[in-house]
Amino acid sequence: MKKVIEVKNLTKEYKKLKAVDDLSFDVVGGEILGLLGPNGSGKSTTINCLLSLLNYQSGSIKIFGKEATPDAYDIKRQIGVVFQDVAVFEELTVYDNINYFCGLYIKDKETRKKYIEEAIELVGLEEFKKFYPKELSGGLLRRLNIACGISHKPKLIFLDEPTVAVDPQSRNNILDGIKKLRDNGATIVYTTHYMEEVEILCDRVIILDAGKVIASGTIDELKSLAKMEEKVSVEVLDLDDEYIEKVRKLKNVELVSYNKPILLVTYKKGKNNLVELMEHLKKEKISYNKIFSERPTLNDVFLDLTGKGLRD
Amino acid sequence: MIVFKTFLKVVNKCKIPIILYTVILVFFSGFNTVTNDNSTSFVATKPDILIINQDEEEGITKNLIGYIGKNSNIKTIENEKEKIEDALFYRDVNYIIYIPKNFRKDFLNFKNPTIEIKSTGDYQASLAELLLERYLKVANSYHTIIEDEDALLEKIDDTLEVETKVEITSKLDTSALDKATMYYNFTNYCILAGSIYVICLVLSTFKEEKIRKRTIVSSMSHKKHNRYLLYSNGLFALVLWLFYVVLSFLVVGDIMFSIHGLFYILNSFLFMICALTIAFLIGNFLIDKNAINGLVNVIALGSSFLCGAFVPPEYLPDTVLKIAHVLPSYWFINTNQTIKEIEVFNVDSIRPIIINFSILLLFSIIFILITNWISYRKRKIG
Repeated sequence: MKKVIEVKNLTKEYKKLKAVDDLSFDVVGGEILGLLGPNGSGKSTTINCLLSLLNYQSGSIKIFGKEATPDAYDIKRQIGVVFQDVAVFEELTVYDNINYFCGLYIKDKETRKKYIEEAIELVGLEEFKKFYPKELSGGLLRRLNIACGISHKPKLIFLDEPTVAVDPQSRNNILDGIKKLRDNGATIVYTTHYMEEVEILCDRVIILDAGKVIASGTIDELKSLAKMEEKVSVEVLDLDDEYIEKVRKLKNVELVSYNKPILLVTYKKGKNNLVELMEHLKKEKISYNKIFSERPTLNDVFLDLTGKGLRD
Repeated sequence: MIVFKTFLKVVNKCKIPIILYTVILVFFSGFNTVTNDNSTSFVATKPDILIINQDEEEGITKNLIGYIGKNSNIKTIENEKEKIEDALFYRDVNYIIYIPKNFRKDFLNFKNPTIEIKSTGDYQASLAELLLERYLKVANSYHTIIEDEDALLEKIDDTLEVETKVEITSKLDTSALDKATMYYNFTNYCILAGSIYVICLVLSTFKEEKIRKRTIVSSMSHKKHNRYLLYSNGLFALVLWLFYVVLSFLVVGDIMFSIHGLFYILNSFLFMICALTIAFLIGNFLIDKNAINGLVNVIALGSSFLCGAFVPPEYLPDTVLKIAHVLPSYWFINTNQTIKEIEVFNVDSIRPIIINFSILLLFSIIFILITNWISYRKRKIG
């Protein structure tokens, strides 16, 4: 696939703080690339450098094969941006807001009209065209924010945490919309600290910490980096230390912790770990309420790689 | 075009304050129209005089009373000391003439009878005194050569009937000029307040960090976008100014079709440019939209009070006027006052106006330079 973005050795410093440290990555056409990392990991700074909103000390950025500069308007024409903060005019209606931002790219009135309608349909704001932003809920505002950023049908879309503080219904709507954009051929760079969204959406993920890439690859590739294979949680009302020691000695067990009433057993590898634990509990006549097994999450990967959680 | 259309929609949101400023302007101008009388024609003022005649009303006594009556308003009050003094105190009469008994006889016999008077001491009383003195001087002068009473009275009448016609040689319609000056002085507030309010609101809306970022990443060049904004704001200021000019034709009237009117319009145009640059300057460093109302009050209202937009500058203390020299409004209002005083327009008479125009332009250039410097600093920091 053709490379849409090529970032090489990008470094951005604020006085003595390195916000982005020798960052290199590529984005290929038609994929959704997730930039995942905790707050302050350099996600937004990277995006701002890519969009020429920030100067950087060293490195190079190429978008669609051309150097990304503040006056590279032929590149900008093909880019759509949805910023983290809702950026709309309070004085304009939903339709007029989209019309204005689309109008910065598309001059032809008829084409613009068609694109606006499509954007409104994509984010599900058909019934709110004449509403003013102050009349919209947080979720609807986020949808408007997205419509304003993508209405001109860009080939490359940057979505900077578009679902922050959004209700579940709007979040699902937004995520569905993003998938549709990808299906229509757009390349998407998606920054978030919600690992669930990354797992649902992204074809490839780059995990950032302190401005550096600490891991990258597909979701499965990243999960394979986790030290554990399976995590089993059991709700047990009362357990003594003797039994916890017994569990530690079971096959494949990596870690055991008991924070009343949850017993958490982490396995390095293996199959049927859950069944074996259930049989062991039965044999020891220990009653439990709930038991469930989980595959490692990206947070576990991040925890293993950095020693801290994504939302710490 | 999309920037201009959006600009109009944002402006539309602040139509109420603009209407309010206009209503205040029209109200004050209307008030001025009512309180200013028309002084293009001269009408002699007649004092209120009370004559207490103790002589018989015949001959020269009758003639004197007739002359006084013809040139004043003769009042009738009962001949009681208290009532007469009250009338004088309450200014019901300005002047009281006591014609003594045997006045006619004594005058004809050259005995120089004394006429007593009482006066309020105001200018109306002075007019009454002039009337009496004039009559007695003419009568005494002719009496030295004419002894026959009828011939004497005829001569006195002929002389006193020569009326002094007062003709106003100046063609200045001072009342209309006062009205125009007051109107245009007041536009100082309206143009400043309107421009600052709208332009600052628009600029703070378009330059709000989130919106600005979206604009920068778009394919419309930053320069082009700023140029559209500048044109839109300029057009707004022009429309606002035109509106107040057209309104001046309705409120002030015919004087606006004269050279005076042309200079008032020219002066307000230059002030509008200056107000536009002030608004741009403020709009560039304004962060909080909520501060706009406060700024309008401080700048527009403050400079209007300091420079004499509401109160004629001649009533303001010298210290205040000296401080006001640093404000463009002072030069705008000063030019309006100067235009009012000019009778004939020539190179010499318009020189002070040209100097004031230059000062207004200089202010505009300074404000543009400061705005550019602030923008440059902002970009450098960013």
